[in-house]
Parts: sequence; structure tokens; C-alpha cells
Amino acid sequence: MEYKIKIFLNGKTTDFKVSENETLLDTVREKAGLKGCKRGCDSGECGACTVLLDGVPINSCSLLSVQADGRSVVTIEGLSNGAKLHPIQQAFYDAGAVQCGYCIPGMVLSAKALLDKNPSPSDGEIRKALSGNLCRCTGYTKIEAAVKLAAKRMNGVQNE
Amino acid sequence: MCKMNDRAFSVVNHPLVRLEAKEKITGCAVYTGDIKLPGMVYAAIIRSPYARASVTKIDISAAEAVPGYAGALLPNDVPDILYNCSGNPPSPLLLKDEKILTTEPKCAGDRILCVAAETPEACREVCGKVIVEYAPKKAFFTIADALRGDAEPLQPHLSVDNVVWKREVKEGNTDDGFERSDVVIEGCFHIPPMQHTAIEPTACVCDFSDRNELTVWSNSQTIFQERRILSELVGISENKIRVIKPAVGGGFGARQQLHSQPVAALLSRKLGRPVKIVNDREEELTSTVVRHGAVADVRLGSTKDGMMISFYADYKLNTGPYTTHGPTVLCAGARKFQYAVPNYFFDGKCVLTDNVTAGAFRGYGNMQLAFAREVMIDRLAIKLNVDPVELRLKNHVTVGGHFPGSNLTVTSCEIAECARLCLEKRREIDAAEGVTDDGEVKQAWGVSFACHGSGPSSREGLSSATVNINSDGSAELFVGSADIGQGSETMLSQIAAETLGIPLEDVAITAADTMITPYDTGTFGSSQTFICGTAVRRACIDVYETLKKLLESITDDMVSLRDKVFYVGKEKLDFRAAVRRVMFHQRGGVIIGRGVYKADACPNPFSVCMVKAEYHKNINAIRLLHLIEAVDVGTPINPLTVEGQIEGGAAQGVGYTTTEQIEINNIAKKPLSTDLLHYKIPLASDLPRIHALIAEGYEPTGPFGAKSVGELSTVPVAPAIVNAVSRASGREINKLPLCEEFLILPNIVE
Repeated sequence: MEYKIKIFLNGKTTDFKVSENETLLDTVREKAGLKGCKRGCDSGECGACTVLLDGVPINSCSLLSVQADGRSVVTIEGLSNGAKLHPIQQAFYDAGAVQCGYCIPGMVLSAKALLDKNPSPSDGEIRKALSGNLCRCTGYTKIEAAVKLAAKRMNGVQNE
Repeated sequence: MCKMNDRAFSVVNHPLVRLEAKEKITGCAVYTGDIKLPGMVYAAIIRSPYARASVTKIDISAAEAVPGYAGALLPNDVPDILYNCSGNPPSPLLLKDEKILTTEPKCAGDRILCVAAETPEACREVCGKVIVEYAPKKAFFTIADALRGDAEPLQPHLSVDNVVWKREVKEGNTDDGFERSDVVIEGCFHIPPMQHTAIEPTACVCDFSDRNELTVWSNSQTIFQERRILSELVGISENKIRVIKPAVGGGFGARQQLHSQPVAALLSRKLGRPVKIVNDREEELTSTVVRHGAVADVRLGSTKDGMMISFYADYKLNTGPYTTHGPTVLCAGARKFQYAVPNYFFDGKCVLTDNVTAGAFRGYGNMQLAFAREVMIDRLAIKLNVDPVELRLKNHVTVGGHFPGSNLTVTSCEIAECARLCLEKRREIDAAEGVTDDGEVKQAWGVSFACHGSGPSSREGLSSATVNINSDGSAELFVGSADIGQGSETMLSQIAAETLGIPLEDVAITAADTMITPYDTGTFGSSQTFICGTAVRRACIDVYETLKKLLESITDDMVSLRDKVFYVGKEKLDFRAAVRRVMFHQRGGVIIGRGVYKADACPNPFSVCMVKAEYHKNINAIRLLHLIEAVDVGTPINPLTVEGQIEGGAAQGVGYTTTEQIEINNIAKKPLSTDLLHYKIPLASDLPRIHALIAEGYEPTGPFGAKSVGELSTVPVAPAIVNAVSRASGREINKLPLCEEFLILPNIVE
């Protein structure tokens, strides 16, 4: 059975035809061609496929596309504006938080969801917010530093 | 030795963000799984659910009826030859015992057949319709069971007793050493397998559609070995095979062997269409490779004033049913004992079982024995009532000395500085936080030393680089070594920029494409900095020599070169001006630098790790608070990525020590740890605070004084944690992971 759905995807209303068992990850990657959304485990454990659904970070591998009908979805491609990086992306860049990079789109989106809700998170709150995203390269050290740096900058403190 | 002004670098030893960071942060970087070719089909491998069995029937008729079914590769479609999937250069240690597809599976996850369909969904449906029937056989998973007299040999053409390789390394006489010792302690350690768990699944796309030339995109660490092995398996020459490495989402050794590439290549040839295979997470965990599980029986003898004089290790590795890297891993572990004991005996065996196949993993043979050694040294320190850091320093090898059983001279060693840096940080932490011991919670520090090599310890590393100079003096650098996330492309570009004397942004690197880039044994053995870095440096030096010869050929004046400036008669030309002069001169030429390095050294990097842990008596729980690791990597070419390697290696070590294990269900006789809920790698909240420190050092044989860092960083972590937990809990610990014995508490401070 095929369903017609509308997703407000990265700021644009987009129509999709999806099957009943199609996941949002498949729709985003294969139909919208947004390859920044990564497949890591297909079972909601690694967080590589994180997208923001109405501002909340979710594992797109574990949500049926029909459940996203009429809702807002933001992927990593929706963050930077052309050549200009989002301040969180810029902080990840400056902190050297990227190694293999496979977890990074999901990490950045989880960080965005945190900072949108809580502009000045504590170290513990950052750790909790990132604990749905697995990284095997960095030990999370520079990723946590990047989120702190982004928070400072977005709060208007430029010279940390 | 170097002169001091050799160390005033303008690009090297500066922390730089890696070149490809922006692509990765914006989601634009292309990984193997992102590749889609016209006409491509999606394939999956049907694997044995049994650890040992015979296939009695394969029926794909129902699968063929699924809409979108595209084809299958069956066991009788593949050449009936044995191979070794390991991405090492050819050597007598690479024993051939693996089939492309098999009807006699020897571990759960063994490849039986492969099916393909037009879409991933159709492929899943096709997989569900394939019928394979098996006659299960008795399987054995442990080293002890494999060595029992009644255990059926797994690879009878290689071994009748499942011992597939033996390695003895001796120096002095350990019996005499123990006799002369005032204190002798013994321990038996059980160290489980560990899975790499790169977040990007293993994947490949193979295009052999025209049945003449094969192109492979894969997340490979060793593209040239992959090409060589595929050439042997599919029967075409190496120049007809192109292996391209896209962005790679982590390797850690897992991609130093071939996985689905031979199957995908042969299926592509059969169907005349490109084939893509991406592992699911269960396949990653159970059907790729793991770090060798090990049993280490060790004895350590010392005088009463703390001079270690004898060490014996009975060291057995569980390599699973296929040898892959087993013998090389065993041999690599034999000469990593960094203390100057006069009597040393490494008695190693590599053993076949039906457990998950083992292969290359960060720390290659060093991890398991380093764990046993460092825990034993801590027990010795407690027994002698001496400081564990001083005991280690007192016995450590020094420059000019050698490791027991090895004839290589130690050329640089800043272990004392590493210890000093760690102790300084530790005092700072304790001054701020104190050390709790209130009857309920007891905190304690544990320490461990470690070393590794800079390249394969067999010195079989071989690397090359070419540098094309553009007319404006910028450079194109080509290397065959693979950046798998560790940052080698940036590091090698820094070496090129420093050697050429040009800004980093004037170097463009192309890495890891067998058709374009020159030969490299591959990304393994922490060899990129030392081996490929030396090749790059030589290529850039060759640029200057070539340029000088060309200048001489177009002038009658005397040409000389000092500090990267050319003097032609009385005229002074900088690099750029010289390039322009030569390239656009009537008798001029093109400047191509070539550099080759066949490793003739393997300098050891060193590290010291200290862990602060606490034990909660009432609930039998532990929490890791701080992890300090200081490394001696000579000159850190890129201190930012060196720190990243320390932090990541530390985190991987924390997982190894606390929670990670491939559980085998004793009734079903197959792995239970098939997803990331049951194979638990650390979350951000599971980790101690990691403090990465870099000691000042200089390795005289390395490019700009550099040694390696990649594997080193993870080696000391397990023993440092265990030593801390032992001191906090008052218990001797002989096996990993610690979640078997303790509740593991997260580390979140609100």
C-alpha cells in the first residue's frame, strides 16, 4: 500500500509517496537524497540517523515515514546556509571534534536540540544530551567541548 | 641527532583542523554506503546460524519469485580455492584456509550464498525466502576445548591439533631468573574478544559489469592488498582492478581484511551489473572480525629491591575458525615487553576454534599481554610495598637499550616525562577533588605503561608518494595510504608543506585509489606517520633535487641550494620563482618528486596512563572518574589529531575493560551480542574525564622527529583501569570485562 505524505523537510514542504513499512531514514536518504543522514544500526541504538522531528532528536531508522506526515523534519543538510556553517557546526569544526565523521551529523543535531531548549547546559546535561549518539573515534571529549563552545558563542560570549 | 633549530617548524607540530572536516560536518562527505551506480543491485549474504554445520540443501526457488529479485551467487558459482582475507603483504604467516562461499560453515556468520535484488526492501524479502538446511555439528568456542585431544581439527590441512602457529621468543634463561628471584608472582588472565564497532558499517560496491575490468569502492584500510587478493580470486591482472577508498567511518583494524568484496565482485560479473553490499549491525558484530580473545599465564620474578629479572608468558590467542591475521598478531605481541628483564620467555600459540573469527584490531597482539604484564607489575609493587610508577621507571628500557628478545635499539624514549606529566595532572585533580575513602566509597588511582611500534614490527611496511608541482608552486600530493578517520591526509599534507616550505593550503592530497596513487602496504600497524610520512618527506626532498637539476640544465651559472632558496649565479630564487623559471623555460621541464620508504626501523612510541576509579562497597559498583594519558610520540605532527587519537583510544579501552563482550549462548551455540544494546560500547556518559597529554620528544629516525600514536593510545587503558579498581575494591582481577563482576556506574556530574 502506498501513502502520500507531506513533510516540512528542511524548511520546505515536500511530497513523498511511501510504503506503510518505510522508515523516515529510507525516505530521507533514498527519496530526498539527503545522504548526510547516516545508517549505523537500523535499530535505534547508534544515533547516526538522528533527525529533528518538530525540534526533537529522534532516530529516523525507528520512525515510520507515515508518522512524519505533516510534521517538520530537519536533517544536517538543513543547518548550514550555503557556505556558512551553523554556529554549532562551526564549533565542531573549531574544536577539532570530527574524526571519521560518521556520527557527526547526528551529534550536531542532538546538540542543536539541546541548545535550542537549554542555551547554557551544564557538563552533565551535555553528556546526557549526547548519550543517544555513539561515537567510536573521539572519546566524545572534543565533541563535548564543541557543544560548550557553541553554547558560549550562541549566548554572545565571543572570546572564550 | 637533530639540531635544535630543526624543531622550529612552521606547519608541523601545529594543531590543525583536518582538511575534510567541513564536508563531514555538513553531511556532504561521501561514504561507501552513499554510492549508487546506474543499474546497481543491492545484495546480502545468507550466513550460517550455526557455529559448525554442513549445508544439506539450498533452495532459492521462492526467492526467485519475489518481485525485484535480481540473482544469486551460490557456493558452486565461486572458484574452489582457499585464501587468506588479511590485508597484509604476502608472507609465510598468511595461511590460506577461507572460502569465498562455503557449505561447511565453521562459525556463526560464515558465508553460504549471496542474493541480490533491485531495491534494499526487495533484497530483504528475497533473503527471507531463501531456504538453507543444515546438519549441525559439535562446535567448540574456547581455547581449552580446542586443545582437548578429542576436538576435531578445524583446518586439518594446517594443523591436526588446532594450534595453527607457535612463536617462541627467548632471552637469557627464565628458569635461572626465577631461581634467583626473591619474589615470584603468578597470574592467569582471561581476555575476551572485542569488536571494533566502527559506526559506519562495512560496505562495498563492486562493478565488474563488463566482465573485463573490476572497480571496487570499499571502506578499506589496505586498497593494494585488496587489489592483490581480488586479482588472485577473480583471475584478472592487477591493472584491470581499481580499488577506491571513499570517506571511511572508522577502521581500527577491522578493514584490514576483505569482507564481502570477493562475493560482490563475482556476483557483479555473473549479473553484469554493479553490486552493493552493506552489512547490517548483526553482521558487523558477529560476521566480520574481532580482537583475539586470549589466555595469558604469566610469571614475574623480581629481586627484593624491585629489579625485575625474569618474565615468562604462556600466551594463547583464539583466532576463530580462520587464521586471517592470527600468526602475525601472535608474533607482534612477542617483542613488546618494555622492561629490561634479562630473562624473558614468550611462549605463544594461535588456536583455532568455532568462535567469532578474529583479525586485526588496534593494539595488534600487544593489548592482551600488556594487560597481563601491567596488572602483574602492580601486584609486584603491592607485594614489595613500593610506588608502582617508580617500580616501572626503574625497570624500563632506555635509549640505546633493547626490548627483551629483540635486536632493535631503542632510539627515543620519554617515558619518565610521560609519568611526570601524568603525576602533575593527577596532583591537580586530587587537589581540587580530594581522594575519598569514607568506608562506603573508596577512590584510588591505577597506573599502566605501554608501548607500540611505528609500523609493522616485522618491518614489512612499504610506502611511496609522488608530488607534482604546479606552475604557481602549489603541490599535488599522491599517497596510497588510507585515511580512515584518523587524520592521515592532513598529517601527510603537513609533512609535505613543511618539507616543501609552502603553506598547507598549497598542498592538495589525493589518497587511496589504486589507479592513481602509488603503492602503500596499507593503513595498519600505526604506520602512516612514520612510514608514509617518511615517503612523503623523501618525495618532497626529491622535488628540490629535481628542481635543482632542471635549473642547472637551463643555465651555465653555478646553482646551489641553501635553506630552500636557490642561488643561480648571483641571482636568488625562492621555490615558487624557481618552479616558474623551470617550467616555462624553453629547455625546462616538469617537476615530479618521488619518495619510497621501505621501513628499516620501527621506533616505539610510549605512553603512561593513570585512572582514578571509585568503588561503592554497598552496591558492589565502580565508577571511572578520570583518565590521564600522556604519550611520547616524538614530534606530534598534528597535536590536535594526536589528542584525538589519545581520547578515542582511551574511550575504546574503557569499553574493552568495562562492558564489551561477544557473549556466546551455550545452548544455541551462537553469539548473543547481535546489536548495540547487547554489545555495549561506551556512551558519552559512560566515560571518565579524559585528559590527553603529549610529552616533548624527538625520534631521530622519524619524519621531523615523529613516531606513531594510533594504536598506542588504547594499550595501557585496560590495565590502568583494572589496577585502579583493584586498589579501590581490594580485589584481584583476572578477567575482563568488569561488568561481569561489578555494577558499572555512569559518570555524569550535574
